[in-house]
Amino acid sequence: MLEERKLMRMLKPLAMLVGAMVLGLQGYAAEDVTSLPRNQTLIVDNPEGTIRNAGWFNIWAANGGGLSTGLQQLGMDTFWYIDPDSGINNQVWDNSLASDPPIYNKDFTEMTVKLRKGLTWSDGVEFTADDVVYTIQEHQKNEGLVNWHPAVSVNVDSVSAPDKYTVVFKLKKPNSRFHALFTVRWNAMWMMPKHIFEKQSDPAKYDFNPPVTIGSYKLHSFDPNGGWFIWEKRDDWKNTSLARFGEPAPKYVSYVDSGPPEKRVIAQLNHQLDIIHDLSPEAMFTLAKQSKTLVTWFKGFPYAHPDPTLPMVIFNDQLDKFKNPDVRWALALLIDIKAVDMAAYRGAATISALAVPPTGNYPKFYFDPLQEWLKDFTIDTGKQTIHSYDPTMGQQIADLLRPSYGAAIPSDPAAIARSIGMGWWKPNPQAATELLEKAGFKHEGGKWLMPDGKPFTIKILVEGNARSIMTNAGTLIAQEWKDFGLDASTEVSTNTVIDTRRPLGDFDVLLGWSVETWGGHPDLSFFLDSWHSEFVAKPGERQAPRNWQRWSSPDLDKIIEQIRTIAFDDPKGLELGQEYAKLMVKEMPVIPLMSYNVFTAMDTKYWTGYPNAETDPYTDPVPNWANSRVMMVKLKPTGAN
Amino acid sequence: MRTILLHILRRFGQFVLVVFIGINLTFLIIHISPIDPVEASVSAMTAFSSSQPEAVELLRKSLRELYGLQGTLFDQYIVFWKRILVADFGPSLSAFPTPVSTLIGRALPWTVGLLLVATVLSWVFGNLVGGLAGYYRNSRFLKLAGVIFMALNPVPYYIVAFILLIVFGYLWPILPLTGAYEMNMQPGYRLDFILSVVVHSLLPILSLVLVGIGGWFLGMRALVSNIVTEDYVVYAELGGVSRTRILASYVMRNALMPQVTGLAIVLGSIFNGAIITEVVFGYPGLGRLLVSGVESGDYSLVLGVTTVSIVTVSTAVFLIDLLYPLLDPRIQAG
Repeated sequence: MLEERKLMRMLKPLAMLVGAMVLGLQGYAAEDVTSLPRNQTLIVDNPEGTIRNAGWFNIWAANGGGLSTGLQQLGMDTFWYIDPDSGINNQVWDNSLASDPPIYNKDFTEMTVKLRKGLTWSDGVEFTADDVVYTIQEHQKNEGLVNWHPAVSVNVDSVSAPDKYTVVFKLKKPNSRFHALFTVRWNAMWMMPKHIFEKQSDPAKYDFNPPVTIGSYKLHSFDPNGGWFIWEKRDDWKNTSLARFGEPAPKYVSYVDSGPPEKRVIAQLNHQLDIIHDLSPEAMFTLAKQSKTLVTWFKGFPYAHPDPTLPMVIFNDQLDKFKNPDVRWALALLIDIKAVDMAAYRGAATISALAVPPTGNYPKFYFDPLQEWLKDFTIDTGKQTIHSYDPTMGQQIADLLRPSYGAAIPSDPAAIARSIGMGWWKPNPQAATELLEKAGFKHEGGKWLMPDGKPFTIKILVEGNARSIMTNAGTLIAQEWKDFGLDASTEVSTNTVIDTRRPLGDFDVLLGWSVETWGGHPDLSFFLDSWHSEFVAKPGERQAPRNWQRWSSPDLDKIIEQIRTIAFDDPKGLELGQEYAKLMVKEMPVIPLMSYNVFTAMDTKYWTGYPNAETDPYTDPVPNWANSRVMMVKLKPTGAN
Repeated sequence: MRTILLHILRRFGQFVLVVFIGINLTFLIIHISPIDPVEASVSAMTAFSSSQPEAVELLRKSLRELYGLQGTLFDQYIVFWKRILVADFGPSLSAFPTPVSTLIGRALPWTVGLLLVATVLSWVFGNLVGGLAGYYRNSRFLKLAGVIFMALNPVPYYIVAFILLIVFGYLWPILPLTGAYEMNMQPGYRLDFILSVVVHSLLPILSLVLVGIGGWFLGMRALVSNIVTEDYVVYAELGGVSRTRILASYVMRNALMPQVTGLAIVLGSIFNGAIITEVVFGYPGLGRLLVSGVESGDYSLVLGVTTVSIVTVSTAVFLIDLLYPLLDPRIQAG
């Protein structure tokens, strides 16, 4: 006992020290993450995490610093923006640095841009055609400006400025979509301040720190270790293109590395993080239960914002086993989309039978008009002709979810169609068997054999934990194919390994996407032009993005060639887009699954006015999109301290 | 004297050999990795943007030239060694054109600061309490401490980290969740900055100490338990030497030798960084840098961090080998 007391005496100072520390820390309020006035500061999650070369703001050079640190959202600007949703004031197309849409000559070999007057850089120098000409000419000659040097070199023959506010591009060959280079969908080619860069011996080696901005904000400060970047509203914000929509509300916007999903949830519950970029479905459900100040894109299920991107089963169509559309259709008819949706997103996704994302204005452009065609669409299995489209699939998923999530699940059919999706293909193993047999496959000794007698094996390449949603979907699909009797399995690789293998066609089947659209505008050339057969690599050779399925079709080529000859806003573009969607259903070179949902969570303690699907879908709330800049003028401070 | 010189030379030879083999292995492993940094960059740069196939081809070519990835593996190996010998790891491919040495230099103080404090604290407390527990075997308090440390020891430290985050970041939010210092604070030798760094380091340090302390505790308790039965300890007790003096001068001092070796090796390995702790707490150290390099296929960065780690661990072992004969005369040089 004596020893015990002695020990306690020895430990007493230590206990007192710990007690004093805890008392001291009590004074540390959880919400005090910054010395900036919190009610004037918007704190945003940057999905890039910690930026390794934080002091590098030259966005035109290779791997230059972070992009979604606020640099591209608040500091940069270019000619035009297309909103992935409805756009501010219901205008999807936004003339930003340009005062008008692009003006092409008849054969699309020349594009004229009229510039907005009265805009200034953050150091007060006026933005003029000289900046544009400099930006293009520097990119023509400087290979180090690698982000856009290739696109400029391939397209631009010459650029000139007939006057201070007009720029004329002469192109090397006709290109009716050349303006896409300067039209923001997530990002685009940004304009450089000539008066800053022309002083540098090599603009590609200049760190551009601090950046002279053309956006409504300027850099306030940043963490040299790359953890946070703070932007401050410019005093002369009226001289920026965003001023057309009003004054940006937050005086400061801070983009932070907020760590793993669990920490993001805690930080938002502590009101230390106003916008979370993305969460897992489970984390979002937890936050929805616990936070009283949370708002999301959809008020209830599935909460997330669907990106204009389409996760799909991508076949390597150059492999003999997938060359026949009957085989691809057989595999599609073995998928139970309800189970895949539950496995991937716990039901929180928008299913898609068409090869365009069911998001933005695309339900209006593509899904509504093609519903009847889908219902009438038939497949000839060789033994029977079947209607496979089930228009009630979205409704069935909603019914499946209702017992677990109750009132969060919409009951209005229109709301279900918009948030959970419309129809998909009914699983039909009998038809799948017939289609495989029609393609010359045989079921012998408990195994499926290809027409050449070799075993029919399928490996689905997935990204593992890096994209668990897709991995879960891929694993379930492999299981469904296996249950049917196919030798199917998944193969897990990291995303950087997939980046290397995908262009080489080093896979059977890939869970990923090769379709990305504007979201707000029906034109499909953003991804579709690269699907032309002229760009399909030979087996083993490197394929250019985005035709990862390496599929070519004379019918598709015709559609693409027609799109190339019409203007961006020509109504015929939508007709051709719908032709593409029908062709994809007939040929099934990829199996579209669902939208890529981003679980963006917004906290209303300090700010309100975030976009939402039901009442004000003015933009994509996902904060790494450059389009998210318009949120700054729509947000309103609550006055909370 | 000649024997000592021979001993030093032999150990130095081993040191050089270990470093050489380690660095070569790293070079080989990285270059047989299935990740192509150019394709990783192409993918990142074209993921969201318009991507004309002809332009992407040109992009690939430009990046390959820019990253200096032309030539055979042997050519790259020669360039690599030329750079290593002058401590130049070249530019980081994923944070181009920032030199790898700059990135390492920026991350190193944070990792060393965090792990040095955590390692020394766990070593001191683990050994102190372990020594006491081995000597005062009937103390209920020390028995309880033993149970707690043994229970914590096998728990993966990311679990401890998340529990601490939930307790001190959410349920009783008195500590910051992330980063190395407060947002909007510029680093400098000022009291407010130093205080901010200390407060931000408490949770990461606590998570490392709680888990790390158990190993030292168990080792020391076992060592002391053996030593207390030695004749010279029994003789001292019979001779009326005070228990405090026996513990400090006769028991702990003798038991410390293997623990000092362990400490040196652990101190050497702090240059590896504490990957999970740094990721969970958003700490800007070497571990996170290494992971980001691996994920992005950044050869130069991975080679740089790994080389620093190999050299420091080997140096620590080399120094221990040299110091051992001085510390413990029972060990003869050679």
